[in-house]
Amino acid sequence: MEAFTQITLNHYLALSGILFMIGMIGVMMRRNIIVIYMSLELMLNAANLALVSFSRFSAVPKLDGHIMVFLIITVAAAEVAVGLALIVALYRLKQTTNTGDLTSLKF
Amino acid sequence: MSELLIVILIAPVLACLGIAAGLPAKKTALMTVLFNLVASLLLAFKFQIGSAGYQFVSSIPAMSLGNYFNTNLKFGVDGLSLLLLLLTTVVSAAAVAVVPNDIKRPREFFILLLLVVSGALGAFLSIDLFFLYIFHEIALIPTFILVGVWGNQDRKFAAIQMTIYLTLGSMVLLAGLLGFYFAMPENVRSFDLEEIRVALTASPLAASVQGWIYLLLLGGFGILASLCPFHTWAPAGDAAAPAPVAMLHAGVLKKVGIYGLLRLAVPFLHAGVHQYVDLFLILILLNVIYIGVVTIWQKELGFMLGYSSVMHMGMLFLGIASMSVLGLTGTVILMLAHGFDIALLFALNGEIRRRAGSTHFADLGGLAQRMPKLAFLFVIGGLASLGMPGLANFAGEIHVFFAAWKAFPWWVTVLAVWGIVISAIYILRAVRNIFFGDVPSTLPQSEDLVKWSQRWPFVMLALALIVIGFYPRILTVFVQPVVNSLLGL
Amino acid sequence: MNWVVLLAPLISAVLITLVLHPMKKLSVLVSILACAVSFLASLCLFYNNGAMHLSSIDWLDLPGLKVQIGGMADHLACLMLLVVSGVGLCIHIFAYGYMKEDPGLSRFFAKLSLFMFSMLGIVLANNLVMMFIFWELVGLSSYLLIGFWFQRPSAAEAAKKAFIVNRLGDFGFLLGILGVWLAWGTVDFKELSQQVASGHLPALLANNPFAVTLIGIGLFMGCVGKSAQFPLHVWLPDAMEGPTPVSALIHAATMVAAGVYMLCRVFFILELSHQVLQVIASLGALTAIFAALIATQQNDIKRILAYSTLSQLGYMVMAVGLGATQAAMFHLSTHAFFKALLFLGAGSVIHSLHHEQDIWKMGGLWKKMPVTAWTFLIGTLALTGCPLLSGFFSKDAILLAAFQHNKLVFSVGIITAGLTAYYMFRLFAVAFLGKPRSHAVDHAHESPLVMTAPLTILAALSVFGALFGQEEYLGLEHANHGGGWIVMGLSVCMFVLGISGGLLLYLKSREEPIHISLFANKFYSDELYEAIFVNGQQLLARLLDWVDRWIVGGFLVRGSAVLSTITGEVLRLLQGGNLSAYVMVFIVGVVFLCYWVLVYLKPLF
Repeated sequence: MEAFTQITLNHYLALSGILFMIGMIGVMMRRNIIVIYMSLELMLNAANLALVSFSRFSAVPKLDGHIMVFLIITVAAAEVAVGLALIVALYRLKQTTNTGDLTSLKF
Repeated sequence: MSELLIVILIAPVLACLGIAAGLPAKKTALMTVLFNLVASLLLAFKFQIGSAGYQFVSSIPAMSLGNYFNTNLKFGVDGLSLLLLLLTTVVSAAAVAVVPNDIKRPREFFILLLLVVSGALGAFLSIDLFFLYIFHEIALIPTFILVGVWGNQDRKFAAIQMTIYLTLGSMVLLAGLLGFYFAMPENVRSFDLEEIRVALTASPLAASVQGWIYLLLLGGFGILASLCPFHTWAPAGDAAAPAPVAMLHAGVLKKVGIYGLLRLAVPFLHAGVHQYVDLFLILILLNVIYIGVVTIWQKELGFMLGYSSVMHMGMLFLGIASMSVLGLTGTVILMLAHGFDIALLFALNGEIRRRAGSTHFADLGGLAQRMPKLAFLFVIGGLASLGMPGLANFAGEIHVFFAAWKAFPWWVTVLAVWGIVISAIYILRAVRNIFFGDVPSTLPQSEDLVKWSQRWPFVMLALALIVIGFYPRILTVFVQPVVNSLLGL
Repeated sequence: MNWVVLLAPLISAVLITLVLHPMKKLSVLVSILACAVSFLASLCLFYNNGAMHLSSIDWLDLPGLKVQIGGMADHLACLMLLVVSGVGLCIHIFAYGYMKEDPGLSRFFAKLSLFMFSMLGIVLANNLVMMFIFWELVGLSSYLLIGFWFQRPSAAEAAKKAFIVNRLGDFGFLLGILGVWLAWGTVDFKELSQQVASGHLPALLANNPFAVTLIGIGLFMGCVGKSAQFPLHVWLPDAMEGPTPVSALIHAATMVAAGVYMLCRVFFILELSHQVLQVIASLGALTAIFAALIATQQNDIKRILAYSTLSQLGYMVMAVGLGATQAAMFHLSTHAFFKALLFLGAGSVIHSLHHEQDIWKMGGLWKKMPVTAWTFLIGTLALTGCPLLSGFFSKDAILLAAFQHNKLVFSVGIITAGLTAYYMFRLFAVAFLGKPRSHAVDHAHESPLVMTAPLTILAALSVFGALFGQEEYLGLEHANHGGGWIVMGLSVCMFVLGISGGLLLYLKSREEPIHISLFANKFYSDELYEAIFVNGQQLLARLLDWVDRWIVGGFLVRGSAVLSTITGEVLRLLQGGNLSAYVMVFIVGVVFLCYWVLVYLKPLF
């Protein structure tokens, strides 16, 4: 129980930061668009974690962070629907999900 | 009656939605603009003449932009706005009515056209400067698309040039408006014209501040109203635009520039106007004389009308520069006169293009034999444009000349009056080349404006010119209190 | 009630244009009736003799500028009203006969009514701005009527030219009006004359002695344009492209005289500057002799009369310049009678010869068209100053004034009188006397009554017109002093000389015996105008158009477009289309932003 209470805000934030970094590096390094997409979701969840923990550890407990998180989850769900649809459409068109091959949007 | 004002504003937007949802495009649009015309006439009858303040005021506080900017969506009319409201409704009714039935993509065309109308209405009815600006932008953007997609001749270049220039003008204008806003003492900052008046009559802005704000506003509004040398977009754009768009743009939208100067520079930036009056006069005379001479050389009716419209703007500016009751009254009369007149001429330009297949003087001739009615209407419009007494422009010009004669050194007025000689030359040349003389054999057979259903928009505009020309006091009774209060008399 | 004078023709014009135009006969009837009503109303006004003041409405009422549409029916105006509506009525009736077969008959009469409205408006005007308004409207109706046969390129060009040249004059007139307003603060004739009569000059004029001259010159410019004085005379001969009744009414009897009427109206202002009067007198004399010289070598019957009109207008203007406004008005009225008569006579000839206007293709018309010939002769005699006809008295009044004031002007005037007799009898001899000079004459016949009746009335007026004129106009009572008899004797001598010259040279000749190309080509004035003004202005317009297109438009607009394009070309190198690269740049940017916020903006939190 004692060990549990020693988990402070900083721990949560560190975890959140690590998750965010993993996601960010994933977005930067990976070439497969689906993996990039998953990494993006990881970054969102890192942010969610930070928000919830701020909310939990604030001097006067508030629900602001929770509400924000719900909002993000909802939007993320919608985003997944749209994003995956786009990826599927893109795959049908180009037969690839490798971003290195998807450069036709240059000016 | 303030509800009626809101209804007038919302009607075109509703009509857009209706057309998008599948109502017959032209019928819906025409019904809307006619409704607006009747409603605005009703407002004019209910309007209490003689008071300078706003009437039929209503505001929509939900649209205010928070604490940082003190703006409020607020509508109302005083004598000046009322006249411009009438200008807009009359010209827009005519513009919608002259859209040919075989226009491509009618749905999109009418939606965009109605957006232009609602933008112009909003700009003239807003009491709040910020929304005046926003509504003007709302009107401009569809104009670009209309010119670029439905235009003729060099439409791509014209549309791009227009877009670049007017966007630039809007940017300068926005900078000027923001400068004006932040130049006011912090506790009274507002975009609301009524509040500004209260704040600035008590403590006017410092003269040096007025100077640079005025320059920015003159640049911004000047570009919108095609002040020389920022005018080249206007003839090209108006010549390329389809007739209804040219009517609305040259007839109504360009007046927003003048309107802005009247609303802002005249009452609140006295010192600025006086400080830069020499610069302003030089630009104005360039507008009248230089553009006038350029107009003489034009070989295509659309370009000629576009340039002549730029030239007439010089007269309007001259009235403002004089900063006197006579001059400002003249400017307001000219705003209406020029609006009706140029709309009539551009509408006829479109008809000629449709009937004869060209508007180059070299291809035309003798049309009065085939289309006497059209020729008659064109001659009325042309005569108004060259300042024939009995038609509206003369009434405005004579005010401006008298005002300029009193306010400026003699040579300014001499050059400005020379403008009436120049305009006689180019208008009569156009009439001679298009309507008189022999009919070229290459001209296709075409019929006159035979039916009243085709004729009424033109007749309505011509009638407006005649009524104002015969009895300009019909306008001055509305304008006078406003002008007096603008000048702080 | 008294506005009937003005409103009748306006109503007629509007009615015909909007409603009646398909019914030709009715349109004509309405127009003639309107003119008759105006004439009767003018008679009423004339016999009430200025006692009547027409009610007025405010056209403009702003601080510092009040313009009324009001009437001033004083003696001068009443006389002019009578002349305009009376001659107008005759010409309306004649025009019906002349234009009967024209498809645009209703249009023609609508325009005539519009003209009557505007002309009567000028006459009645009680202030300068109102006069300017109707002044322009008269110019408009003149434009429309010259261009009545707009299918003809020559008529279309002539109409345009007339309007633009008139506009040049109006430019000066408007500036003159502005000057008057700035100096005296009003444009109302009555207030102006009271202020001028009170004797003290307004500050502007007292400090600026030249200003009053400039104002006078400006006002006179209006007259130069409308009354076709040198150098703005070029439009009037070309205006003969219009139908002949129009030439008679507008370009001989009434409109062109409006300039002289206006000068008489504002004479009390012109009088303030000696220089202005001198300019007016010299320009009038110059025009008189200049046009008379040209007239001696013209072959078109209407052009001869047009140059004669110019010359006579020169006389009137000269009279104003000499201070003899009464003589000017007197000559204006008599000239209206006989010049209208001459033009209508010419119209009758042209009508019966199927639009042949060259006098060298006429001849021997005396027998074929007796009424026309007799009345034409009366007109000619009146114009040339045959003793006891109206023109004799009015011309003598002017010459007498010249004799008393300025001997140089007088000598020009008296030479012009001789030239007038010479060219008019040249015209009469070639067109009416001798043997037919071409086959065009074979089918000539006398015109119908509707045309000859107005001729007869006008002929009677040309003979007795001087009697209607007021005694004070007649130079006769001054004849006993100041060289009256000398003037009269000299002018009779010139008359006899001119007639004998014209008849001797031309009675028998079948073609032009004298060739003076300078006169025949109108002193090359058209060519000079073409070279200097038309081409110069075209060149300037072309140059400025180029500047606007390629310097203002090109440099500023295309320049900014080119700049944006170049920037775009450079920046597109960064857009490789590679998602990872974008993300990298984006993240680096975010990191920098975070760093900046945390380090530099921290103190603000």
